[in-house]
Amino acid sequence: MAGNGHCNNNRLLFHSHQRLCSADILQPHEVRARIEATILKFLHLLASPTPTVADLPLIARRSKNARFRHSLFGDVTSIYLSQSLCRISLMKINVAKTFIRVWKVLELCFQLLVHGKQVTQRELFYKLLSSSPKYFDSQVQVNKSVQDVVSLLCCSRNSLGLMPSSRGTVVGRLLIQEENQEIVDCSLLGPAGQAITGNLHLLENFVFQSNARYIFVIEKDAIFQRLAEDRIFNHIPSILVTAKGYPDIATRVFLHRLSKIFPTLPILALVDWNPAGLAILCTYKFGSIGMGLEAYRYACDVKWLGLRSDDLMLVPQDSKVMMKTRDLQIAKSLMSSDMLQDHKYKEELRAMIQGGQRVEIEALYAHGYEFLGRYMVTKVVQDDYF
Amino acid sequence: MGGRSEASTNPSHLLQRIRGFTLVLIEDLCKGRTSLVSIDRYRTHCKLIGPGDKCSCNSDMTDGREIISMEKESHANRLDVLLRVLLITQKLLLEGKHASKRDIYYMHPSIFIADQANVDRAISDTCILLHCSRHNLNVVSAGKGLVMGCLRFKESNRMFNCIRRPSVAYPVPVYVEEVKHIMGFARYILVVEKETVFQRLANDKFCEMNRCIVITGRGYPDVPTRRFLRLLIDELSLPVYCLVDCDPFGFDILLTYRFGSMQMAYDAKLLRIPEIRWLGIFSSDAEAIGLPRRCLLPLTHRDKKKAEALLQRCYLHQQVPHWRLEIEKMLQREVKFEIEALSVFSISMLSEEHLPAKIQEGRHL
Repeated sequence: MAGNGHCNNNRLLFHSHQRLCSADILQPHEVRARIEATILKFLHLLASPTPTVADLPLIARRSKNARFRHSLFGDVTSIYLSQSLCRISLMKINVAKTFIRVWKVLELCFQLLVHGKQVTQRELFYKLLSSSPKYFDSQVQVNKSVQDVVSLLCCSRNSLGLMPSSRGTVVGRLLIQEENQEIVDCSLLGPAGQAITGNLHLLENFVFQSNARYIFVIEKDAIFQRLAEDRIFNHIPSILVTAKGYPDIATRVFLHRLSKIFPTLPILALVDWNPAGLAILCTYKFGSIGMGLEAYRYACDVKWLGLRSDDLMLVPQDSKVMMKTRDLQIAKSLMSSDMLQDHKYKEELRAMIQGGQRVEIEALYAHGYEFLGRYMVTKVVQDDYF
Repeated sequence: MGGRSEASTNPSHLLQRIRGFTLVLIEDLCKGRTSLVSIDRYRTHCKLIGPGDKCSCNSDMTDGREIISMEKESHANRLDVLLRVLLITQKLLLEGKHASKRDIYYMHPSIFIADQANVDRAISDTCILLHCSRHNLNVVSAGKGLVMGCLRFKESNRMFNCIRRPSVAYPVPVYVEEVKHIMGFARYILVVEKETVFQRLANDKFCEMNRCIVITGRGYPDVPTRRFLRLLIDELSLPVYCLVDCDPFGFDILLTYRFGSMQMAYDAKLLRIPEIRWLGIFSSDAEAIGLPRRCLLPLTHRDKKKAEALLQRCYLHQQVPHWRLEIEKMLQREVKFEIEALSVFSISMLSEEHLPAKIQEGRHL
C-alpha cells in the first residue's frame, strides 16, 4: 500500500502488538484452568531433581512499563502494558508476604469459581480477614492482591468472580437489545437514563441500533440529567453517556462497543475546566495504568468539546475558583506523563495551570439554563472540538 | 403544617402566592412601613439536657418563628437571596422546567456569595412561606436510589415492569408525583443502606425467592427515594424493614428514614416512615453466628463522636428507647460490624438464611 514510511509503521505496529499484554474476559472454567496450570508449574519445579520455589511473574503495573500505541486505523492512541515483569519471590523477605497473599486470593477465587458464586471486594476482605488474619488486615491490601492475580493470570477482574459494578448511565437515540429481552428505547427514559450493567459478558452481546450523529460523554451526573431533561438528543440526534466521574470498566466497554458499531459518530466529551476533568477525558481516551491490562482495549477516540480555554470568556468572574493543591498535583502528573506529548491538550493544560483557576460546567447557567444546550449545539455545528 | 391539600400546591396556586407575597412587600415599602417576613421554624429532634426532659418534637408543631426584617442589615442579605430564589422558582414554574439546588446557585453566584448553603436555606424558606414541598417548586435533585423486585408502576409514559426481571436494579423515579398505577405482588419491603448489599441480594435472587421489594438510597437517602418509599407504603400497605450496618452512620441513616432529616424538617410529615422496622444488623447477630473477633472493626474517634451526638437526640429517649440500647451497647463494646462480615462463613448467608429467618421470626426492633 505505501512507501517506506508506511512499511516501517506497519512493522513497528506489528512488533508492538506482539509485546502488548492484555487481560482476557474468560469463562469460569478457563480461569480455573489457568489457576490449575499455575499450581502445576509450581509443584513441578518443587518436585524436580533441583527443587526450587517458583517465582510469580506479574506484569508490572508501573508507568515505566506503560507505553503508547497508535492504532493503524483511526485515531486511537492507547496505553498498554508491555511485558516487563515484576517477579515476586518467596525467598525475598520484603515480598514474601505479598507472595503468600497472591496464593491466598488464588485459593479463594478458585473456590468461588467452583461454586459459581460472585463476591464484592468488601466480602472478599472479610473472608480473607477471617481465614488468614496474619496476611490481610486492610481493604487496600486485598485490592492490590486482586490486581496482582489479574496480572498473573492475565484475566479480567470480573472473570475471577468479583461482582461487577457500574456507575454508568445512557440516554438518547439508542435502542438496546439484550438476548431474549425486550428492546429498550433510551430516548423514552426519564432523566436518570438507563443503567449500564456491570456484567461485561452481557455488554459484549448487546445489539444496538441508532440514528444518532454524535455521542456525548458527560463527566457529571447533574449535567447529564439536565441535558436529558432538556432532551438535547432531539435537538442534535445523539447518545449521552456518563460514568458520574472517573469511568469504570463497564462504562468504557459500553462506549467502546458503541464506537466500534457506529464508527462514524464523533465521541465528544464535556468535562469541567480543571485537571480532574482533563484526567477523566484522558482515561476514556487512553486508558489507565493502574488497570493497564484491562484498560487498553477500551480506549476510544474521544474529543474534547468543552470546557476549554476559549470558553472561559463565556463564564462570569465569580464562577472561577482557585485551584486546590489536589488539582495541582493531578495537573503535574498529567504534564509529566507521556500521554500528552505532542498534543494540543498539553497547551490547554498549560493554560489551565497558568490561569490557576477551575470552572465547573454549571457556571454556564449564569446565562440561563437553556444556554448549556445552545453552547453545545454551536460548538458541534462549528466542529469546534479536537 | 396547617391546611395543606393536594390542590393548593399546584403551579398556578403557587404562582399566585408568590405574587401575593411580593405585593405585600411592595405595599409595605411604598407606605414606608417596616416589612417583616415571618418564617416558621421546624425541627425533627432536639438535644435533651437531662433524662427527664420532655419536648414537643413529635407533635408536628412548629418550633417558633424567625422574623426577618428589612431594617436589619444582617437580614437584608438573607431577604435578597430569598427574593432571587423566588424569582427563579417563578420562572421554573411558568416554563414547566426543573432545576437542582446547585443549578440555582450557579445562576447568580455573586449574589449568593459563593455559598450553596445560602441557596439551600432560601429554598427551605420559600417552601415554608408558600406552604409546599421542594418538588412543588420544581427543585429536584439527580436521583440516586435503586429499586428491584415484585413491583410494577408507571412514571409519566413509561411502564416499569420490575417483576419481569426481579433481580435487576431500576433507578428510583425522580418525579414521584408522576408515578401511577403501582402494583405490588410482594409480602414486604426491605430498605438497605448500601449499594453493595443491594448487589449481593440481586446476585442471590433474593426478591424472587422471597417475593419482596428491595430499595436502597445508596447511603443517606435523597428526597426522591424517601418520597417513593412513602408512596409505596401508602399504596401497598406492606410491612417495611430496614437493614443497616451496625455502626453510627448506619444508625443515622435508619433514623433519617424513620424521623426525617433536619434540613427537610418542614416536610418531615410527608417524608418520614414511622412504620419502619429495624431488622439489623445487631451486635447479637455477630455472637449468634460466632463471628471471629477480628471481623469486628474498632470504632474510630469520629464514630464515637457521632454515636454520642446521636444518643442526645430526644426521640431516642422518648419514642424509640429500645433503639437507644443498641447504640449504647455498640459504644460500650467499641466495635462496629458491617453486613458484609456475614459472608465470612458462607457468601449467601445473608440472603439465604439470615434475612428470611429474621423476618419469619419477627426478630426486629
